[in-house]
Order: sequence, then structure tokens, then C-alpha cells
Amino acid sequence: MKKPTLSRRAVLRGALGGAAVAIGLPMLDVFLDSSGAALADGSPLPRRFGIFFWGNGVLPPQWNPATTGAGDEWQLSPLLLPLERHKKKLTVVSGMQVKTGNSVPHKSGPAGLLSGTTVQQGGDESFGGPTIDQTIAEQLGAPTRFRTLETAAWRGTGTLSYTGVHASNPAEFSPRGLFDRLFGDGFVEPGSSAKADPKIALRRSVLDAVGDDVGRLSSRLGKVDQARLDKHLSGIRQLEQQLQKLEENPPNLAACKAPAQPLDDYPDTDGRQPLAEVSRAMAAILAMSLACDQTRVFSHWFSYPVNNLLYPGVSAGHHQLTHDEPGDQPQVAKILGYVMTELAAFLDALDGVEEGDGTLLDHLVLLATSDVSYGRTHSLDDYPILLAGSCGGKLKTGLHYRSPASENAGKVIVSLARAMDVSLASFGSGDAKTSDSLSAIEAT
Amino acid sequence: MRRLLSSLVLAVVAGCSGGDDPAPAPEAPKVAPDIPAQTGLARLTAAQYRASIADVFGTEIVVPAQLEPDVVQEGLIAVGATAASISARGVEQYESAAFKIASQAMKSDAVRARVVPCAPGGPGDAACAEKLASSLGLRLWRRPLSADEVASVRDLTLKAAAVLGDFYKGAELGIARLLQSPYFLFRVGLGEQIDGARRYPAYELAARLSYFLWNTTPDDELLGAAANGALSTEAGLREQAERLLASPRARIGLRSFVTQWLGLGDLDQLSKDPTLFTYYTPDLGPMAREETLRLFERVAFDERGDFRDVFTTRRTSVNPKLASMYEVPAPTRDGFGEVELPWDGPRAGLLGHISLLAQYAHPVSSSATLRGKFIRGRLLCGEIPPPPVNVNTALPEPSGTTRTLRERVAEHLTDPGCRACHFRMDPIGLGLENFDGIGRYRRDDHGERIDPSGDVDGARFADARGLGQALRDDPRTTRCVSAYMYRYATGFLEAYQEEPTIDAVDYAFRASGHRLDQLMLAIALTPAFRLSGDPQ
Repeated sequence: MKKPTLSRRAVLRGALGGAAVAIGLPMLDVFLDSSGAALADGSPLPRRFGIFFWGNGVLPPQWNPATTGAGDEWQLSPLLLPLERHKKKLTVVSGMQVKTGNSVPHKSGPAGLLSGTTVQQGGDESFGGPTIDQTIAEQLGAPTRFRTLETAAWRGTGTLSYTGVHASNPAEFSPRGLFDRLFGDGFVEPGSSAKADPKIALRRSVLDAVGDDVGRLSSRLGKVDQARLDKHLSGIRQLEQQLQKLEENPPNLAACKAPAQPLDDYPDTDGRQPLAEVSRAMAAILAMSLACDQTRVFSHWFSYPVNNLLYPGVSAGHHQLTHDEPGDQPQVAKILGYVMTELAAFLDALDGVEEGDGTLLDHLVLLATSDVSYGRTHSLDDYPILLAGSCGGKLKTGLHYRSPASENAGKVIVSLARAMDVSLASFGSGDAKTSDSLSAIEAT
Repeated sequence: MRRLLSSLVLAVVAGCSGGDDPAPAPEAPKVAPDIPAQTGLARLTAAQYRASIADVFGTEIVVPAQLEPDVVQEGLIAVGATAASISARGVEQYESAAFKIASQAMKSDAVRARVVPCAPGGPGDAACAEKLASSLGLRLWRRPLSADEVASVRDLTLKAAAVLGDFYKGAELGIARLLQSPYFLFRVGLGEQIDGARRYPAYELAARLSYFLWNTTPDDELLGAAANGALSTEAGLREQAERLLASPRARIGLRSFVTQWLGLGDLDQLSKDPTLFTYYTPDLGPMAREETLRLFERVAFDERGDFRDVFTTRRTSVNPKLASMYEVPAPTRDGFGEVELPWDGPRAGLLGHISLLAQYAHPVSSSATLRGKFIRGRLLCGEIPPPPVNVNTALPEPSGTTRTLRERVAEHLTDPGCRACHFRMDPIGLGLENFDGIGRYRRDDHGERIDPSGDVDGARFADARGLGQALRDDPRTTRCVSAYMYRYATGFLEAYQEEPTIDAVDYAFRASGHRLDQLMLAIALTPAFRLSGDPQ
């Protein structure tokens, strides 16, 4: 994987795999003009990338809009109706296929779509490489406090965001935890001065020393374990960057202000997890983390593959219903209605932050997807892909594109990366390999 | 996974006995070969991190609730630990935890007295900073620090003490530095070339032994045995392994193994519909797990008894809530006490425990498939391929003709596509149908009498208790726990060439009368445990 190229000072000395190690720190400080519409040098507001994921798939016949096209040429399908108010900023991509094979139900789909890899057999069913959120963040090397953020609405740390094999990024599932991390001690209000805390420099000295340990230990290891310590070192590097941001004056971003503090606890109701309440609390904090340029890449794990969560008003767990419920699966449809209502609320939070001459949603692209197409059969045909936001005008919106020939879903990923100014030579491998993007969804 | 019998050499006494029921000749003892288990860094599990902190600093230290989550691989956190790295979020969490631990430690007089081996003469007391670095370093890194490493910790302590104007505040930085190091966060067992073979040097072996048997860091005596060379001898290793197993802390080690092997960690996250299951409360999962762990503890350590009894015993430990769910008088007003379940009741042994019955079920109903898959995979070490794609998995709704789950899943066993896998799961799991989705007894399902009979690969059983007996009598069950314990101890799924080691361990297990403590001892004493593979 490509290492960040912005290097201000070599923090770590030592050998890692025989090569000298330099910890990359950002060279650029971000200064925005007083209106916050653009950076001081006139370049536009940063573009961001996000993932909204739910488990157990969709019901394709009720999911896909009946007609295609732009504007009024198409109407939302019954399952997508909760998104009505966002239709103009939404693109539905249907008829695409994940082409990496389907060896591990519920994992092969997102592995193929998000990382272009196949699932490692047995074991922890790790993806075979980094997911697109991490690839984009790595290549952007943005000077943000956090390289990426991962959040969950369900009560669990599991995500499908990978930096590499066996290296997934755990999610924060407590809104209060996320709030404290982003807007607690380490947050400096725009316009105020950085805190002068001698402890920050000392913490960096600790990380220097720990990085030395990693280097010395790594030189004694085989390749597999070295790769594991590389991840550790990358985490140390990212924490260095966080600490450095604490010592800098914060960027003067007009849209940035600390959000309201969420509740400490969101209790269950009738054995049902408070998915909506937690998701909305997370969305409010995530939106401000983006507006404050604390990160430019995030993923929100509304629920997880194979989850058997109970939803209000349905008679069994989600996964069980997708397999056992006969007929048109009205109860599964009800759950999807719940999830889409919360996706709409998530978009409300992003669209509610005015930024420049639009909203935060206009300056990002959110990929909303799941682990299978039709839950009952674990199908990877006609994969559910929703896009929201134009990513600063790079992508078309208000569109339903339906692939006429089961095109490779990886083409969408190439388009999204390009919208973020990340150029992928190709994405995926074997039959799934593509260097083409999906030009139909790209603004020209 | 191969079956036990296929790998045993059973010399049957043929024709030389006049008896009607010739017994097989005693099995020839099996000796574990000089083949190492696989070698690699193991990240401390969350439980190991907490236990190590408690041991080194004291139980009064509060470790933050959020640490890097454990990774499960091949069903075991212990195996996930040798594949896991540390995420960016994990680095943040470990840093935050390190400073919280260090700050508590230096604020408490008691902990300070335990950890700081000298009275500092002031912020610049280099000698004291050095003593602290080497004594605490030894405990946290489970080996003596090199001179350079001691100097690194000492200098950081002094630098911080100078900035902050206080020796102990400076020491917090030194401690936080030790705690964030990969030498603490990973168990570094790499092996060296010693006496003609790659093996673990004494300190690495000490940590290996301690985390296996106690799930925590080596104590002073074990570190002493590493320092004086005793642990490097076979007799010294045996002495230490036996000492660890005789300690009450071995119960914690066994609990950790059982929790991982049976998947009991997930009981914290049970999802059950309380409107259907009125007995369900969020604390049910943890208390049900406690019952199961107490059963294993009793059989392994109180009785030093036959492991297989866990499948048939009617004695169990319950609190008032579990007692009411089992419909037996509560043995105590609160907390756990032992009861004997009725001789003619539906329930006996592990398979009657709410822990497994609730864990391997749906939020609103039982599941013969999930329960059968658990028994097939975790107790018999059988393989079940993942379900094929593009099949219609809908079950018929309960109706006038298909009322019980047995009737509803009948399709699984008739359709050839389903049958290939489901015949390995459902007929076993249907034996537990008398227990609902949270493990309460029921006679009927949708108004029809439940038929809990079935068979395990030909061994017929009439009901859940018969299923328990069938598993008790199945030699694959002991071979399977031997294999899981070996994976747990080594942190890897065994390679093909390690099978003879597991056969030998399994032999010792059986020869000891199926004693779990002897199984743990046998593994600790195999060449596989002390020889190391090449770095990978």
C-alpha cells in the first residue's frame, strides 16, 4: 500500500523490514477564508467520502425503481420512498454485479464491492485487502486530525473497513464515546488558539520511543508479522498527527461548531436496540466532524452482516426473517423501511449543515450498500448501491442508472475514487478486475 | 477434521480370548513428536490485558472499558490474537488506557509502594528512575530489558519529571511508554536457536505457559525459574506447569478456554424478544455463562474428575433466577449454589444449560440448525460447509399440518441440496427441541407434542439427555476438546504435521481419566509447546 507522501519530519528512526522508516506528517496547514466557502488560496472546500452500510440485503423487486433516467423520468421504488426528500441528491445504481465470486455468504459481496478482493477462507473471514474508504484516505493523506472515522448504530465494534488482511477498523458504537473523542479534550473551537500543554510534547516523545520499539521488534520478524506491525506503526503515525493538530490553531471553518452532547446511554425498548436514536446521534456528531475537517473519510455501520437484530413491529430477528419468511417478505420490507428512514435521517444531518454555497452533503459522496442483494438467496446480482451527494459537483445526482448487462460493480468504486481525486489504476482482480469507471454517473 | 478412531492404532485382541466380549488390548502409549507448533506474535486479548495490569499494579486499578476488540479466528480469540494487528483506533485506545493506568498507579500510595522500588530524592533522581524502569519493565515486558531499553524508559521519565516538576508525574510517562510498547501489547514468542533446535528462550516460555494456564502474565516465581535456568529443563518446566495448575488461578485459565471454545463470550450480546420470553432480562446471558463455567471448574478442579461428566451430570450451580427457569428450588437466597436436577427431569449436563440453549437459538425461537451446527462443529469437530447461494431458504410457517419445527425443517432433510449439509446438523439439534429459544422446558410446540429423538451419526437417542449420553460416549468429543485446547494453547489452527502431537495429547488426556487439568499439563509438556517454528 502506498504510504502518505507528505513528510515534515522524520519522527522515527529505525529499521522496518530493513528499510529506514519515516513517519509522515502533513506539510500543509489548512487555512480557510473568513466565509469558509473555500480555502484561503481559493481552492474549493474539501470533498469527503463516506459509507453507510446495513446487513442482510434488500428485496430486489421492491427495491429497484421501475424506470430509469434523470429528474422526473424515474420515481422512487416502494422501499426507497423514505428517501423522497433527498431524491434530487440521490443516485440509484441498479443491475450491477459483484464479480469476485460468492464463496462466503454475506462476506463475499462487500469484500468484492468495497475491497475488490475475495474473503480469506476459514478463520475470521477477513477481506483480502484494504477497503475503498481506507485506500482513499491513504492516498489523500489529508491533514485532518483523524484519517478515517468508523461508527456504528448497532451495539458492536465490527466493521467491514479494512486496512489490510486481518486488520479491520473497529467502530465506535457509543455516541458519547464518539463525542468525547472528537469534541472532548482534544477539540479546539475555531477562532480560538491552540492549547499550550507541555504534556502533548511528552506524549509525542512516548510515541517516538514506542515507534523505535516497533522498528527493532519488526527487524526480527517474518513477513506476516512485519505486516501486522506495519499497521501498528501506521496507527502510531496517525496518533502523532492527532497530537500535532492539538498544537496548531484550528482551521477557521464557518460551518464548524461543537455539536450538542449526546446522551450517555441509549437503552433498549422491548429488547430492541435503539438503532434509530443512536444512528441519529452519530450522524449529528459525524456531520460536525466533517464540517470541522476532523476527517474526510468515514463509514457508518448501521447494522452488520447476518445480524439477527429485532426491529419494532416485526416477529423475528432480521437475518432469520430474510431466510424463513415466505412470500414477498413483508416483515423484511418493514425492516428495510426502517433502515431507509434512518438513511434519510443520516442525509438530513449532512444536508442540514450549510457549507459554502451549498451543504455538507453537496461536498461529499455517500455510498450506501449492503452485504448481499436478495437476502434469502445470498445473491450478488443486482447489487444494492445508492449514492448521495455530488462530491463537489463531480458526480451526477437525481439519477437512476440501471446496468443493461450486469456490469462490474467495481466500476462504481472507480468512479467514487475519481470523484475524490484518487486515481485507481484498476480495482479488483481476476474476473472482477476493472480499470473502467461508470461514466454514466459522473458529471462531465 | 479426522476422526479419532482413524488415527488410533487399536490393536484388537483377535481370536486369542475365549470370552464372549473380547476387550480391545490396551492402546499403545503415544509420544508427541519433536514438531513445533506454529510461531508468531500474539496480541494480548482484552482479558489478558486487564489481568496483566491487575497482577502488576493491583486490582484497584480501573482499566477503561474500551480496548481494541478481540478478533475471533477458527472460533477462538486465542487464534485471532496471532493474526490481529493494532488498528489506528486501537493505538488511540491503548494510549489513553496507558495514561489512565499510569496516573492511577502513581496517585495511589499502595500501588506506588508496590511498583516503585525506591524512594526518589527528587524529579532528577536518575538512579531511582532506572530501578523503576528495569523492575517494572521486567514485569510488563515479561523479560529483562536491555541496557538501551532501560535507558530509554529512564530518560523519558526524567525528561517528563523535569517538565512537570515531579518524579512520580514523570514516572507516569515512563509507565505509559512501557504500556504502549509492542513488547507489552504483543506476547513476543519468536524462539531462538538453542542447543541445536529452534526453541523458546526461558522468558518467552514463561509467558507462553502463564498465558496458557492462567491467562495472565508470569508471576515472580515463574520469572525466577526463567532467570535461573530451571524452566529450560524438562523437570523445571514440569514443576512450574504443575505449580500453575495447582493454583486457583488455573481456574481462570480454564474459564477463558471454555468461554472461547463454547462461544460463551457472545452471551453478553444475547438478542431475545422479551415480549415472547418473559424470563428474558439482559443479565440472563452472563449468569447462564457463569453456570457453565462453574460446571467445568467443578469437574476439572474440585473433583479432578472425568471431563465427559459435563454431558451427563445432574448437578449444577444456579442462582435463584436460573433455578426458577429450571423449575427447581433455589439453593441460595442470592448468588450461586449447587442443586441436583430431578432424576426424571428433561435436563442434564451441558446441553441442558441455558447458556448454550439461548446462545444457539433465534431471538424469538429455538433453532435445530444453530444448535446442531454448534454440536457438530465445536463438540465433534466436524466440518460444515457454508450454505450454497441462490437457494430458497424459506421455511413453511407453522400450520395445521406442519406445527413443530421438526415438521417445518423436514424439507432440509428431503431436498438433496439442503440435505447434504443439514443432515449433519438438524437431526442433532432437534434433540434439544424441548427447550425454547432461551432454554426453558416445553412439552409442546404449536400445540403438538415435541419428538426430541434423533441420532448422532447412527447413535440413536430418545431426548436431550440421551443426546448428552451419546456425546459423552463418542470418542470424537474428547479428541475435539483436545484439539481445541491445543489450538488455544498454541494460538494457531494445527497444521497437518501437528496431528500426531494432538493424538499424543489426547492419549494422555484419556489415560488420565479424561482430566482437563491433565490435558492442559500434557499440552504444556509437549515438544510442540517449547520448540518454536521459524518466524513467519
